[in-house]
Amino acid sequence: MFPSPDSMHLLPIIMPQLGESIAEATIVSAAFKVGERVEADTDLLEVETNKAVMGVTAPCGGILKELIAVVGESYAVGATLGYLEISDDDAERLGLNDVPPPPVEKPKKKKETDLKKGEVVAKTKALGKTVEPTVSGLPVPAHAGGASFLSPRMKARMAELGLHAADLAGVAGSGAGGRVTIDDLERFLQDLERNTISPASSMRVAVADAMRRSWTRPLATVVLPIQLDILLAHRKKQTIKAGPALYALRALSIALSEMPATAGRLIGDRVIHPRSVDIGFAVEAEDGVLVPVIRHADQFPLADLVERYNRLVELARARRLPGSDTGGSIATITNYGVFGLTMATPIPLPEQSILLGMGAGRVTPFWDSEKQTFVPVTEAQFTLSFDHRVLDGGAAGRLLQRVAELLGKPETL
Amino acid sequence: MTLGKASDSDGPRATKHSPEVTRENARRAYRIMLEARILEEKLAVLYRSGKIVGGVFLGRGQEALSVSLGIHLRRGDVYAPLIRDQAGRMAFGDTILDTMRTYLGSSLGSMRGRDGNIHRGRPSEGYHAMISHLGAMVSTVCGGLMAKRFRGETGAVGGTCIGEGGTSTGSFHEGMNLAGVEKLPIVVVVANNQFSYSTPNDRQFACNDLLVRAEGYGVRGRRAVGNDLMDCLSVIGEAVSAARSGEGPQLVVADLLRLVGHGEHDDASYIPAAMKESSLGGDCLDLARTTLLEKGWLTGEEAADWQKIVEKEVEETSSKVLREPSPDPSEEDWNAFSCLDSQQNSRYPEERQ
Amino acid sequence: MSAITYLEAIRLAQQKALQDDPRVFIYGQDIGGFGGAFKATKNLAKEFPGRVLDSPISEDAMVGLAIGAAVEGMRPIIEMQFADFSTCGFNQIVNQAATLHYRTGTPCPLVVRLPSGGTPGGGPFHSQSMEAIYAHYPGLIVMTPATVEDAYTMLLEAVALDDPVIFCEHKFLYYHLKADKLPETVLPFGKAKIARQGRDATVVAYSAMVHEALAAAEELTHDGYDIEVVDLRTVRPIDTDTILASVARTGRLLVVGEAWPWGGVAAEVIARVATEGFGLLDAPPQRLNAKETPVPYHPALWGTHRPTASSVANSLRQLLEL
Repeated sequence: MFPSPDSMHLLPIIMPQLGESIAEATIVSAAFKVGERVEADTDLLEVETNKAVMGVTAPCGGILKELIAVVGESYAVGATLGYLEISDDDAERLGLNDVPPPPVEKPKKKKETDLKKGEVVAKTKALGKTVEPTVSGLPVPAHAGGASFLSPRMKARMAELGLHAADLAGVAGSGAGGRVTIDDLERFLQDLERNTISPASSMRVAVADAMRRSWTRPLATVVLPIQLDILLAHRKKQTIKAGPALYALRALSIALSEMPATAGRLIGDRVIHPRSVDIGFAVEAEDGVLVPVIRHADQFPLADLVERYNRLVELARARRLPGSDTGGSIATITNYGVFGLTMATPIPLPEQSILLGMGAGRVTPFWDSEKQTFVPVTEAQFTLSFDHRVLDGGAAGRLLQRVAELLGKPETL
Repeated sequence: MTLGKASDSDGPRATKHSPEVTRENARRAYRIMLEARILEEKLAVLYRSGKIVGGVFLGRGQEALSVSLGIHLRRGDVYAPLIRDQAGRMAFGDTILDTMRTYLGSSLGSMRGRDGNIHRGRPSEGYHAMISHLGAMVSTVCGGLMAKRFRGETGAVGGTCIGEGGTSTGSFHEGMNLAGVEKLPIVVVVANNQFSYSTPNDRQFACNDLLVRAEGYGVRGRRAVGNDLMDCLSVIGEAVSAARSGEGPQLVVADLLRLVGHGEHDDASYIPAAMKESSLGGDCLDLARTTLLEKGWLTGEEAADWQKIVEKEVEETSSKVLREPSPDPSEEDWNAFSCLDSQQNSRYPEERQ
Repeated sequence: MSAITYLEAIRLAQQKALQDDPRVFIYGQDIGGFGGAFKATKNLAKEFPGRVLDSPISEDAMVGLAIGAAVEGMRPIIEMQFADFSTCGFNQIVNQAATLHYRTGTPCPLVVRLPSGGTPGGGPFHSQSMEAIYAHYPGLIVMTPATVEDAYTMLLEAVALDDPVIFCEHKFLYYHLKADKLPETVLPFGKAKIARQGRDATVVAYSAMVHEALAAAEELTHDGYDIEVVDLRTVRPIDTDTILASVARTGRLLVVGEAWPWGGVAAEVIARVATEGFGLLDAPPQRLNAKETPVPYHPALWGTHRPTASSVANSLRQLLEL
């Protein structure tokens, strides 16, 4: 109630509560000028509420030191209207010096009354806008039976054990609609105790987490065989040689710079477009995979990228990849061909919508329609795995075709 | 409007200067009226300087009627005062200190900040703490008297006050009817102050005189001149004696005028000037002093002394109470039950934080 | 002794209270020589002259009188002829009786007996269940006995407590429930009772609905389910611990009440379980209450308006599939 505790002799003149439902009152007149002497129990101000005209009284005598209130203006109940300079005795008598006076309002309420009328209205309107009745049905899927539904009880128990839904993939549910029940879970956990158990590395756990999150999306893969003879011939001629994965990375970056929306992410009902064409590539490291990133890969010719690429591979293998060289990419290249694999359906990173995979190159007969005979060509299966919410098979296919076309003209890369 | 009829009433009427009004009683009554008046004026100042929250409801103009009931009740009686009964409350034993503490919300007051202003009381001592719902206290007083009857205690009286507006409630009707059925020693004083908040009597009831209701309830009706202390003391004194001696419920109706607004937030601009200037508008405190001086029961010197003594006591009490501690929410037990602990009373996470 | 009905248990409890405690008196309409509309005070006026009194039809004044007497140290019992009529005394109950102790520190020990709930043909004004309305107000104890034993011991307990007690006795149980003898021991005040143990789902109920829940539980044994039934006994205070412990065992909750659902006891139970026991739940908690209309007159409508064993069983089957 007393805004400046150091001014012990200054008694604030407070707008009294002039009725149970009154929030403010208007100043009608002031009986005294600043500097004038005021006797105890005399009316300092005349104020008007929508109910009546009343006086604001001086509880003790003093000098009117300051008059904040302006005639014609409205002030909230509890507002300071001015200050009376009072004697030490009066200050003590009114209890201004030690014990706080009885609480007049709770802080919350004060805040409200501090607002001017218009502000309150504006606030109410603004609030109205933010409240949109969009939710239909229950927040908990009341009728969502089946193995995918985890009850709050199951979730609580799993959180306690640090388990994820995917960890229960192998548990056959015996509950309603095949749902996994607490009993199923406990039996499953008990059963596990009979196996050899070793802790998972933190890298393993991190990869597991990323893959689990990614797998919540509908993922699909398209495949295209691409001939590599021209590419390999081009590579042979270079003094500083780029690996096939870097060719593919560069081709993908050009293709994406032409159609960046294909690497967009779907969040709610909006497609988030990439800010720049930063492309990652998978590098196998001990007990996991790291993904270094080539920033703005679309803006540098292939030859300029080789050294950077090689350095990143080394850093990744040594698990010394700096934070600035990983993360934030919009697509990833994975060369599973190095494992001798010809085709795979790898999973994109959870924050990406596309992943370009390369199978192992093989020499294979190709029907040359000009020569009317089979000729040997080196060919590899390229896969494009994608988030089917963002891309359809056609768009994914066009992106892959464009990559193939670019790989067929390596001198342009 | 019933006003005109009331003043030239032909109802039962005690004569002025009834021998029952003793010098001592009249002097004591005047002294209490003075205390109530000066205390309430201070409360109004505290309210208008923002020290009192909620409201201040003054009994100015009704002190003579109010004190006359309180003064005739004694320890062991049951008393349920209403809004404008500061004088009656003090006659029954309430103090300047506890009034001030209740209004200012001191944690040392009998209500401990849990309730305020006119809602104070000490029910276990027969002094009820009114609820705002008018008429409710009539049957409550009846209950206290029933308890005494069950225990075989005789000679106790119950007293309660109400305004003319409160007589329109169903609760008042039920309470009066029940008092009549049970033939309880209750005295119900109706202060017909012409306005219920701002509503005039012709919008409040349609009978010519509220006193006729007594017959409908099967209770004895009496009329007092509301701003005449001697008349009030006499009529209410007789009513209390009658109740005490087993004559059953008594309804006293007194016409007067509230000389202030309903509360301090109300300027009473709806009271016509003519009414203020009529005999109804006479200030009972001034009239009582004149009468006492005329009768030689009080000297001018004494009156002036009393004024000073009471003003000093009120000032000192106010200064003391303003420095008393407010209730501390963190020490409040937040429990509405006497047979449960606060955990059983409420168990919600947000409250436990 | 022949079988004791729920009604007789209430009469006997009042008889014992009058006998043991001179502070007790009973006030209500037609309760004197006539013995009450339901005969809950039969012969008591004769046996205790001057202490079992006919009141005028003035619910407000009846409760006001009880408050005044309680303040003076008496232990009044007010009989409302029907729970429905307590609305006429509502103000005194919730504004004076409930607030008195908190405001003034003076206890207000009184009992208001509410013949509650529906019976065939009762209709809109003789069938209501008011427990949620009174439980809303801090300061009121609200009891809802479901058995003959509880009707007897809890009424005695209500008289002994220092707070105002709203005693909701179910009219349908008056003659339908019988016990061989009255109990000599008392369950702890404010504690719910496991009326039936089970592991598949918890039904929380009180008053007459306990019996509908028990019948439904019995029916579901044929489906291979084992249902637990919790009888709240008092709705205020409410025994959250027993409810949570039961839900912890079963993972599923159905709350059954004869009153309307809106802001009611079932809503309160569910709010508490959702707040304090969300991680115990295998399915969204469910409630089954009366339909959201006034209580209808015709028995065919009434029988559908309120929850019954078969509607409780249906709700349970749905709950068990969630």
